[in-house]
Amino acid sequence: MEFKDYYQTLGVSRDATAEEIKKAFRRLARKYHPDVSKETDAEKKMKEVNEANAVLSDPEKRAAYDQLGQGRGFQPGSDFQPPPGWDAGFEFRGQGFNGAQAADFSDFFAELFGKQMGARQGHHRMRGEDHHAKIMLDLEDTYHGTTRSLTLRMPKLDSQGRTMLADHTLNVRIPKGVHAGQVIRLAGQGGPGHAGEAAGDLFLEVHFKPHSRYRIENKDIYATLPVAPWEAALGATVKIPVPDGLVEVRVPENSQSGRKLRLKGRGIPAAIPGDLYLVLEVVLPSATTPKEREFYQTMAQELAFNPRQNLGV
Amino acid sequence: MSHEIDAILLEDAMLNLDELARSCQVSREWIIERVRWGLLLDQDLITNDPASWIFDSRSFMRVKRIIAVERDFEGSPELAGLVADLIEEVEVLRTRLKASELNED
Repeated sequence: MEFKDYYQTLGVSRDATAEEIKKAFRRLARKYHPDVSKETDAEKKMKEVNEANAVLSDPEKRAAYDQLGQGRGFQPGSDFQPPPGWDAGFEFRGQGFNGAQAADFSDFFAELFGKQMGARQGHHRMRGEDHHAKIMLDLEDTYHGTTRSLTLRMPKLDSQGRTMLADHTLNVRIPKGVHAGQVIRLAGQGGPGHAGEAAGDLFLEVHFKPHSRYRIENKDIYATLPVAPWEAALGATVKIPVPDGLVEVRVPENSQSGRKLRLKGRGIPAAIPGDLYLVLEVVLPSATTPKEREFYQTMAQELAFNPRQNLGV
Repeated sequence: MSHEIDAILLEDAMLNLDELARSCQVSREWIIERVRWGLLLDQDLITNDPASWIFDSRSFMRVKRIIAVERDFEGSPELAGLVADLIEEVEVLRTRLKASELNED
């Protein structure tokens, strides 16, 4: 287990006041806000900041943590086991975090403060806490439905009532038609219940991995349809692969790049399905060989065409 | 290997007030206040009886965002609601940018 330097995480000195810790936490909470941050690893950083704040903003946990580190020269990342009785004389009240949040925290945190969570919950009949996480899906998953294996760190009670973090693997059947921003619920897959009560539920927020060919906007899908100049000009029926197979579409004559063709109901197959939009992109043949160049020269001579007419030149 | 578990979309089995409060670890009253203040649920879904309210994925995410702003920044509920509005708007615009293949930077 790695030693965590919570002061370094928040960027404050060891003698920082409670007010300085609060300010540092807020500055970082803003910097790494998972919905707006452009920092890489913002979500991971935010979890670290939350963990450091859960300890340093609580006077008793901070005092115990300070005593643990005092004079022992632990460096961040160095191998660490808490000495027996390190927390003697401290009574943690468990403010600032709960079991569901603690699932995001490190093994270091669970080792130090897990007993407290167990002690708080162990003697009462209490339903397990609901846990929240994210799941990344491929676009194809929503067209056919899929089963995804998902590994989450979950708090579990050991034989002495301590809360430990352990990997928990689930095989989840994802229904067809799910789309980004939706939340799915897995009954009974959250935190364990206490004294015979039911386990909590697991809620997963759905996200999609970027796709090389398709762009997703809610239930609608966008794809680029490359066409030759004569297909765009004269109209044509062309084949294109779409997420659920191959389709033939009619390109209307006199089309330009950027024209959108809508395939109704071929987007994400939700209860009310989305649409699939094909955005035309006219691709010009190269002008490399003498024959190719001759074609372009003929067009230039024969067609009275000024693409900048609207610009007044 | 564990057995397969069916995922249920919140849209197919929406949360009631008690379920939402329990899941987000806030009190029923906390949610009722914010619904009454217009920070949660569309007006046409609000009836006099909170027990009849139902919450979808969007409400679920919105409650989590409001909780985070109130807790992390000691923000007022109205400010937290405004932040949630802006985050939702940014999400819509980012999705549109990606769909139209424009870069954000």
